[in-house]
Amino acid sequence: MAANWQVGIDIGGTFTDVIARPLAGDKARSAKVATRPDDRVKGLLAALRAVSLEWADVADLVLGTTMITNAIVEAELAPVALISTLGFGDTLAIGRQNRAHLYRLDPPAKMPAQVPPGLRFEVAERLDHEGRVLQALDEASVEDVLARIRAANVQAVAVSLLHSYANPAHELALAERLRPIVAHVALSHQVNPEAREYERAATTVLSASLMPLAATQIDRMQAVRPAGARLHLFHSAGGMAAPSLLRELPLGLAMSGPAAGVAAAGHIARTLGIAQALSFDMGGTTTDVCLIAGGRAQVGNDRMLGGRPIRQPMVAVHSIGAGGGSVARLDHGALLVGPQSAGADPGPACYGRGGTRPTVSDANLVLGYLDASRVLGDGLKLDAGAARTAIKPLAAQMQVSIEDAALGIIRVANSAMVRALGRITVEQGIDGRGCVLLAFGGAGPMHAVDVAREFGISRVIVPDNSSIFSALGCVSADMSYTRQQTLRMASAAWDAARLERLRDELRASLVGRLQAPAEIAEVALIRYRGQSYAIEVPEPDFSDPGALGRAFQVLHNKLYGFATDEPWELQALRMTATVPRATEGAGGGEGAAGGGEGAPAPSGPTSETPHKTTLCSFAGGAIKTPRFDRAILPVGKAMPGPLVVEDAFSTVIVPPGATLTQDDGGNLVISCGVAP
Amino acid sequence: MKPKVDPVTLEVIRNALTATAEEMSLVVMRSARSPLLREAGDLSSAMTDAGGFLIAQGRDVPMHMGVMSFTVREFLKRVPPGRLAAGDVWFVNLPELGGNHLPDVKAIRPVFAGGTLVGFAVSLAHWADIGGAVPGSYVTQARDAWAEGLRIPPLRLCSAAGLDEEKLGLVLANVRGADERRGDILAQIAATRAADERMQQIVARHGRAVVLAAMAAIHDRAEAQMRAAIGAIPDGSYQGEDWLDDDAAGGPPLAIRVTVTIHGDGARFDFCESDDAARGPINTTPFITAASVYYVMKVLFGPEIQPSGGCYRPFEVLTRPGSVLQPGFERPVVGGNHETSQRVADALFRAFAEVCPELVSAGGPTTSGLLLFGGRRSDGVWSTLYETHGGGEGARIGRDGADAVRVHMSNVMNTPAEVIEAEYPLRVICQRLRRGSGGGGAHKGGEGQHREYQVLCDDMSVTSMFERRVVAPYGLCGGEAGALFRVTIIGADGRETEMAGKENLHLGRGDVVRVQSCGGGGYGPVAAKQDQGRQKHET
Repeated sequence: MAANWQVGIDIGGTFTDVIARPLAGDKARSAKVATRPDDRVKGLLAALRAVSLEWADVADLVLGTTMITNAIVEAELAPVALISTLGFGDTLAIGRQNRAHLYRLDPPAKMPAQVPPGLRFEVAERLDHEGRVLQALDEASVEDVLARIRAANVQAVAVSLLHSYANPAHELALAERLRPIVAHVALSHQVNPEAREYERAATTVLSASLMPLAATQIDRMQAVRPAGARLHLFHSAGGMAAPSLLRELPLGLAMSGPAAGVAAAGHIARTLGIAQALSFDMGGTTTDVCLIAGGRAQVGNDRMLGGRPIRQPMVAVHSIGAGGGSVARLDHGALLVGPQSAGADPGPACYGRGGTRPTVSDANLVLGYLDASRVLGDGLKLDAGAARTAIKPLAAQMQVSIEDAALGIIRVANSAMVRALGRITVEQGIDGRGCVLLAFGGAGPMHAVDVAREFGISRVIVPDNSSIFSALGCVSADMSYTRQQTLRMASAAWDAARLERLRDELRASLVGRLQAPAEIAEVALIRYRGQSYAIEVPEPDFSDPGALGRAFQVLHNKLYGFATDEPWELQALRMTATVPRATEGAGGGEGAAGGGEGAPAPSGPTSETPHKTTLCSFAGGAIKTPRFDRAILPVGKAMPGPLVVEDAFSTVIVPPGATLTQDDGGNLVISCGVAP
Repeated sequence: MKPKVDPVTLEVIRNALTATAEEMSLVVMRSARSPLLREAGDLSSAMTDAGGFLIAQGRDVPMHMGVMSFTVREFLKRVPPGRLAAGDVWFVNLPELGGNHLPDVKAIRPVFAGGTLVGFAVSLAHWADIGGAVPGSYVTQARDAWAEGLRIPPLRLCSAAGLDEEKLGLVLANVRGADERRGDILAQIAATRAADERMQQIVARHGRAVVLAAMAAIHDRAEAQMRAAIGAIPDGSYQGEDWLDDDAAGGPPLAIRVTVTIHGDGARFDFCESDDAARGPINTTPFITAASVYYVMKVLFGPEIQPSGGCYRPFEVLTRPGSVLQPGFERPVVGGNHETSQRVADALFRAFAEVCPELVSAGGPTTSGLLLFGGRRSDGVWSTLYETHGGGEGARIGRDGADAVRVHMSNVMNTPAEVIEAEYPLRVICQRLRRGSGGGGAHKGGEGQHREYQVLCDDMSVTSMFERRVVAPYGLCGGEAGALFRVTIIGADGRETEMAGKENLHLGRGDVVRVQSCGGGGYGPVAAKQDQGRQKHET
């Protein structure tokens, strides 16, 4: 059989999702299998077998992976040596001098520096903030540090010198000396060419400490990969990249999984012409939300992961600790949901694995949203009795029925999600009520309409393949690279020649990694002199600084309600080079349904008759509610709630007052209406 | 009779009000101009009820708690509700008006729903300059309140008709960096506007009566939480004492003394035995004293307690008129905000160390370690760097103290060397841990930090405002004290002189300021650990 499939695989913490699209003829296939954390290559092959493919059948494979995310969160990090400028070796230990917990004394105030004092070395050299050499790299101190690194016997070295973002010469010179003696070298001006020495050093050290793992895993995959089969990895900024690049910059995979999900959301938004959308991905322990404007996921540059700062272009997914496993309790007259979570083990009470505390999932089961008679993807059978038993004491405390207590749990959980949506829209100066809510993941579609109504959103879309959405993001990904570079150019001292040179260098560094003509997109980060946060000005016109300044003022006024004529500064430039995905073959997303391998396309037989009717409780009381199989749901027919749409892995709740219509792309479009 | 609100609606509205306060802080952080706000986050935002009692706070700075809990209530004594209108934004910074010190300027916007006052949105921001004798407005020589800068009584800078440019002009004429300050003011107005809009949505969603009932329930809940926390402490009377280095005018150390009396679910904190008011700007206000009490109670006994006006109901906080904690409005206070507030917390911790040593940490860097550098850059622009220096955290049962960190009443971050060098006429020579500065003990105090700044302009004003230079961070349960805070000026000629804790100097090109922040106190006797080690070895 010829290699004629495009495949997207997302290896998550619990499940591995796979979507396979034929280049010609055949129907698309999809599946969800348990993740094998012990052996990622075997897991990958098992995922392919779940859609009846061998790797040799695959022309093009794109992989999203939590490998790096998990290593960071679980602190499975290789020992690293750090080389700093003389006098700055303790920068990692000082950090930004703030403590982690404002009102707790017992937990450690700070994480210990990732590199212990004995592996922190200093070389004599000094640049200023414009990259001018104040002191040349001192040969004697370099020799001394090299000797000590040889003795330290580490696999990876991070180099982060002061102001290297403005002049990389000293870091490059050190790299030349280091490469013969250590396997992995990470240079701060390459990992993160931006000012602020602590964040740059921490990011570089973290990336260096992941290089041995990334090299081992990527090399194993490359060894198994059949000749001619293309393999790419999904990176944090929302595109795919060559494994060789991520082998050198493993931190680019830190947000691989969530990035694939929101990239798919961006794809849907573009396809459906939605100007502003909010992605809403609710899982067992966390809920991820992201703003998608103009069909592109918002990209941010700072986040904490596993307690460590990471500064890299990454999709700006905002995570909150609320999910299906969040535990509810009554505390001094208020119903609190989370932050405690029953996690995956024991999990919610309804999993029947020994959990006894009431959770959001238990509430969903008690309300009849989850169907107790169905077996979930991993053979899990839900225990409705256990869920009721768990909620009963809470209901007694609240002096309401078990159903009303369950409705309360959902409302409170949803209010935390509304708060998260408010945050990401206010940050961007957007009125979130005009957005479409794109709900996916296991539990997102169950809560989406209520969350939308609470926030003031009128339309929810549960896209095709919503339960294996990250895999869809992988299979429809473009090749892209993104870099952000500190510039610091004042409007009053505009240097067009310098800017042109820097843009050319940045462009060359990105395009050099691609083997095809690339589209270049730029974002200028501009601020008034004295401000800390810069505003993103898309598609900047650098040929006319006056026009650029006016564009900045318009955006500033939109974001903050004021703008002035004061001097401004081009603080940084973010550039993305994209090679659009080859669209050869029929495939598309249309054939693949969320119901697993061989699920019929919407063009197949459909049924307007529910496969069953169950009692579901809504704010107005319990109602007989029809349940439909998503795979055979009619297309183009408006269906008033209450109703439930199900596939093997997810449940869509359409409450009374809302109306669902499946479009011809397999997307479920829900008008929220108002609760009767 | 009080209207009732169910536990679900209460939590939903509480979430929405907290989100509102958080959004205000986001707006200020991203658009304000003072470096303090943008790099260090020295700001707070709050929503209060119509009576001015705190309902929700975004981006906590513990020392701002007192301010947020009292400002609007004191404001309403001067400006009765009848004078307020929708669209107003009032600015105020008087310490005696529910305040702390002049640089922390509060913007207060009354929020109306259907013509009825339902609450206030308050944005507090530390302006980089509020006028007075020196750039940055830390006038160490101040001997009265008027020397400290511009005193702003309740002043309506904005109304539904827009900005009042005349009043704004008066303010801007009296502070340095008029453009930057204008930016701060606009940011604070924008933040309160965003909060007003969000409040309108909340009222539209739930109805005014329900929102008001929820606000009342939020207070009741916080009160119940605080009472439960107090109830867990053994009844009795506990005394604590700690000392300020001096009176900020060259005098001897000043005592802060407290007697804590726990009785059932109520607590009295009597600070009346504290020393008389200081001559220099190290006094503070009863509001800051109350904020420190709240912080200590929360951190020791109830980290989950929601910040709200109801928290204060179980407390009786007593201060003596004429003392350093209630000096009268004419006294200077600028440093007391972050120095004396920390000493109040220290006195309280030492009182509680009697009854629950397992909850308390040894003495730490309870000082901001503040230095202000003011000078002209090579492009002629005047710039002021306001830099705090964290030190070694005090050790506690079960662990060593952390190195180079801020503790208790503040959590303001440092400014990166790469930002300092790009924006101020300074070069950072080094930044490292100050090894050996942590006090010994079964658990060791954290290390302080060592940072050196070289002056790159001809005339730079340098102001210090720090403590723990004379009275060291205490050890606990037999642990040793941490090393003292020390700032040294190294002249271009190589001569070294020590800088006082509250001093203003002028330095020239090439001079170096060396900061060595204090180490943390140790916990438990040093020998105990060695004994344990030996026993382990033997077995």
